[in-house]
Amino acid sequence: MAWYDEDSWLTAAFSPRLSTVAVALTLVLVLPVLLHLFIYRRATPTTLPSLLLLGPSGAGKTALLTLTERDAAAPTHTSTAPLAIEALLPPRLTPASAHYRSPGDPAYERARRFLLVDTPGHGKLRHFATAQLASPANVRGIVFMIDAASVADEAGLNEAAEYLHDVLLTLQKRYTGARTSKGPVEIPVLIAANKSDLFTALPPQLVQINLEKAITQVRKSKAQGLKDSGVALAADDDALDEEREWLGEGGDGPFEFRQMEEVGTSVKVRGGNVLGGDGPDVKDWFAWIAQQL
Amino acid sequence: MLDTFEILTTSGVVLWSRTYVPVGASIINSLIREVFIEERIPPPSDAGQKPTYKKEGYTLKWTTAKDLGLIFVVRGCLAVYQSLVHLTWIDKLLDNVRALFAGIFEEQLKKGHTSVVDTDTFGPYFDRQVQELERANEATPNVKLTPPSSTENDSAEDNAPPVLQKPQRPLYDTSADSTPVPTPDTSRPTTPAHTHLVTAKGGPGPKGKLSRRDKKKVAALNSAPASSGDEGSARKKGKASAKKNRVWGEFGAEEEDPSVVLDYSQGDIQNSNPRTEALEEIKSETWGRKTAKGEFVLKDLDEEMDEIIAEQNAKRESLAYSKESKGLVGSSIGAIGGLFRNVVGGKTLTKEDLAKPLKGMEEHLLRKNVAREAAVRLCDSVERDLVGLKTGNFTTIESTIRTSMESALTKILTPTNSLDLLREISTINTSQSRPYVLSIVGVNGVGKSTNLSKIAFFLLQNHHRVLIAAADTFRSGAVEQLRVHVRNLKELSAREGGQVDIFEKGYGKDAANIAADAVKYAAANNFNVVLIDTAGRRHNDARLMSSLEKFGKLANPDKIFMVGEALVGSDSVAQARNFNASFGPGRGLDGFVISKCDTVGDMVGTLVSMVHATGIPVVFLGVGQQYGDLRGLNVRSVCMLLMS
Ligand SMILES: Nc1nc2c(ncn2[C@@H]2O[C@H](COP(=O)(O)OP(=O)(O)OP(=O)(O)O)[C@@H](O)[C@H]2O)c(=O)[nH]1
Ligand SMILES: [Mg+2]
Repeated sequence: MAWYDEDSWLTAAFSPRLSTVAVALTLVLVLPVLLHLFIYRRATPTTLPSLLLLGPSGAGKTALLTLTERDAAAPTHTSTAPLAIEALLPPRLTPASAHYRSPGDPAYERARRFLLVDTPGHGKLRHFATAQLASPANVRGIVFMIDAASVADEAGLNEAAEYLHDVLLTLQKRYTGARTSKGPVEIPVLIAANKSDLFTALPPQLVQINLEKAITQVRKSKAQGLKDSGVALAADDDALDEEREWLGEGGDGPFEFRQMEEVGTSVKVRGGNVLGGDGPDVKDWFAWIAQQL
Repeated sequence: MLDTFEILTTSGVVLWSRTYVPVGASIINSLIREVFIEERIPPPSDAGQKPTYKKEGYTLKWTTAKDLGLIFVVRGCLAVYQSLVHLTWIDKLLDNVRALFAGIFEEQLKKGHTSVVDTDTFGPYFDRQVQELERANEATPNVKLTPPSSTENDSAEDNAPPVLQKPQRPLYDTSADSTPVPTPDTSRPTTPAHTHLVTAKGGPGPKGKLSRRDKKKVAALNSAPASSGDEGSARKKGKASAKKNRVWGEFGAEEEDPSVVLDYSQGDIQNSNPRTEALEEIKSETWGRKTAKGEFVLKDLDEEMDEIIAEQNAKRESLAYSKESKGLVGSSIGAIGGLFRNVVGGKTLTKEDLAKPLKGMEEHLLRKNVAREAAVRLCDSVERDLVGLKTGNFTTIESTIRTSMESALTKILTPTNSLDLLREISTINTSQSRPYVLSIVGVNGVGKSTNLSKIAFFLLQNHHRVLIAAADTFRSGAVEQLRVHVRNLKELSAREGGQVDIFEKGYGKDAANIAADAVKYAAANNFNVVLIDTAGRRHNDARLMSSLEKFGKLANPDKIFMVGEALVGSDSVAQARNFNASFGPGRGLDGFVISKCDTVGDMVGTLVSMVHATGIPVVFLGVGQQYGDLRGLNVRSVCMLLMS
C-alpha cells in the first residue's frame, strides 16, 4: 500500500472524513490546554509585592525572616542560598494601599501579603542580592539590616558601609539611567539597626551618623582608588572610558542619606531586635513595611 | 560523643536539632563559611569517608541533600572521633538520617515560599537511629566506643544475648502509631542515653508525639507491602523470637505481655512508673479508637525507617545511574520526552546528562588558560550543584550549566573582604604610628619591580610618602632598575606632592635584614609606606624559598602580594601554593597581582587558577606598560571574558 492509495493514511488524513475532523479537532483543542498546563503549573503564579532583605553576614536577616513566619525566631546559621517566603503583615498594621478598606475585605487581606526575600550576606555570595537588585520586579522596598553592636567597631562599620554604598549606588544608577521621563518606581530603603537588646548596640541615631561618615569615606577612597579592570580588559572599546558615578550630589562634601531622596530613594534608620530577653521588638520595621505595601 | 546533630537549610534556617552538649552557633557558622562558601577545605574526593572539619577542639562531620537544600551536621568532641570505626559510625548516622528526613519531610520541603517545616515528629526516629547504630557498633569487637560503664546493670545486659534485649521492642511497636517513648537503654551511660532517660521520664511529651496524620503519610509514602493490618501482624508473628512476647488481641491489637513489663522493671526500676502510665494512655486513647475503626496500620518504627531509608537510597541510586530501558516503545517515548524537556525545561538532571556538557565546559575553561586542576574543581562543584535539580522553564542543560558555572566563577573570584589599601594605610599610620609595610614576591621575570612601581605611583598620587626598599640583592642590575623607577616616579609625582625614595644596600647582603632596616629607616625619616622588592625565585627552588620565612618574620609586612604572569599556564597552581606556604605556619600571601593582562586577551584563566590554589584573592591587575596601568579586579567582567 503506497502513500497515494485510496486507503493510505495520508489520503485519509486529507480527506473530509469524520474521524479525521475529530482527530484534528481534539488536537486543536487539547494541545493549547496541555501546553498551558505544562507551562503555568510550574511558573509561580504570584505577583506579590516583595521586600528585599540585604545586609552583611550575621546581621540577623534570616532570623527576622523566620520571626515573620512564626512566633519566635528559629535558630539560624550563615546562609548560602537566598530564600523567599510569603509573609503576612502582623495584625493591627494596615498596608498603605488599603488604608480606606476595612478588615475582612478580601482586597484588604490580599494587600497584607508580601514576599520577603532573604539574601546571603557573606562577601562572596552577594551576587544573589545584586541579581535581585538588577531586576527589581515589584520590589517595594529594601530592608538593609545591620548589627548595631558590630557597627560600633571599625571593621564592622566599614563592611556595612561598603555594602550599603554599593546598594545605594545601584539604586541611584537605576534612577539616573532610566530612559523614561518619569523615572522608575521608587525603591525606599530601611536601615534596620538590629540587636538593640545588646548593651553594646548603638542607638539608631548614632548608627545613622556613623554610617554616613563611613560611606563618605568609602566614596572618597573609591574616588582615589584604582579604576577597575572592566574597561581595560574588554578588548574592543579602549577609547570609551567608563564614566564613573558617585553616590549623592556628585560626590562632594559629606554624604547624607537625605541626598538619596533626589534620586528617588528615601532612607530611614530604625532600631529594633529580633531576639532578646524582653522578646522581639520589630514594630518600627513592620510599620515601615506597612507603609510600602 | 555526639554534642549536636543539626539539620539546616542552605538558606540558614535550622529545621531540627538535637543537642546533648550546648555550645554556641559559631562553630557551625565557621564550617559553613570556610567549607561551603570559601571552599578552603577541598570537598571529599576519596570514596566512603565523609569529610571532617576541626575547629576549637570540636570535630564536625556533615553531609548534604542538594536537591532539598539541606545540610546535616554532627558536632562532637575531638577525642571521641579518633577511632576510625567511630567515624564510619557517624557517616552511617548521617546517611540514614538524611534518607529518613528526606523521606518524611520531602513534601513539606519542596513547598515554596516558606521556611517552616514541622519537624516535631522527627525526634523518635533520630533516637532510634542513634541507638541502633550504637548497638551495631557494639557488636563489632575490639572497638571501645563509650567509656566503660560503672553500674553492674550494664555489664549484665551487655553480656546478655540479644534476645534478652529485644523484649523492649514491643514498647516501640505500641507507641509507633501514636506516642513513641524512647527505650531507656541503661547499658549506655553516654550522654545520648541520658537524654533518652529524660525524655522517657517526661512521658509522652510534645517531642515524642507522632501525629497520626504524619504516620499515615509516612505509610503512604512507602509503597509498603505490609500496609494492611492483617498482613502486618502476620508478618510480625512470623518474625524472630523477640516478637513472641506480644499477644495479639482479637482485632489484631496487641496487648502488653506481662513479661515485657517485668523485663522492663528489671532493667530500669526507677523508670517503670512513668512508662506504664504512658502505655495506659496510649491504650485507652489511641488504640481503642483505632481498633474500633478496624483499619489501623501496624508497623514497627524500625521497619518503617528501614523502608524509608531503602527507598531514598534507591532513589539516589537511580539518579546516579541512568534508568533501565523500559522496552522499545517506552524508551523511545522517554527519549522524545527527554529531548522535549531538554528544550523546554523541567528535566531532572542526572550525572549522565551533565557529563558531556560539563566535559565541554571543562575544555572551554582549559582553552581560557585555566589550569586543569581548577577547571576540574569548578566542573565538579557545578555538578554537585546541579545533580538532582530540575531545569527551569525553557532552559536547556547547557544554559543551566552556564549559569551555574558563572556563579561558581563569581564565587571563587569575589574576595571575602574587599581590600581598601588607602584606608588600611591610614589606619595603620594613625593607630599604630608606624609605616605601613607592603612586600612583593614572585618568580623571576614576572614584573615584580614594575608592579611595585605601579603601586608606588598609585600611592604617590594619593600623597603618601613612599620608601622603596631594594631587597633583591641577588640578580645583578636589580638595584639599578629600581633606581631608574624611583627617579621616574620622583619626576612624575613632583607636581602631585608625593614623596618617594629608595633604600639600598648593594648586593650580596641578607634581604631580610635590609628589609627590616628599611622599615626602621622609614619610621625615622617620616615615610609612611614601605614597599619591599624581593628577589625573584623559582617556586621549586627549596633553598631560596626557605629564606622567605625569615624575611616574613624580620620585615613583618602588613601585606605580602605575589606577582604572577597572566601568561603562565598550568604552572600557576604550583607557584601560588608554594609561595603561599613559604612563609611558615600562620603567615601566607595576602593577595595576587596578575601582570601582563593586556597580552592575553580573554584568556584570563590564570586568575582563577591562582585563587583556586590558595583561596587568596586577586587584588590588582597589571594592564600595560605605563605606571598608571594598574587596575582593581572587576569580577563580573572577568567572568564574562571567561564564559565568552
Ligand atoms: N542578641 C541578638 N542576636 C540576634 C538578633 N537577631 C539575630 N541575632 C543572632 O545573630 C546571628 C545571625 O543571625 P542570622 O539571621 O543568621 O544572620 P544573617 O543576616 O541571616 O546572616 P547571613 O545569612 O550570613 O547573611 C544569629 O545567631 C542570631 O541568633 C537580635 O535581635 N539580638
Ligand atoms: Mg541568613
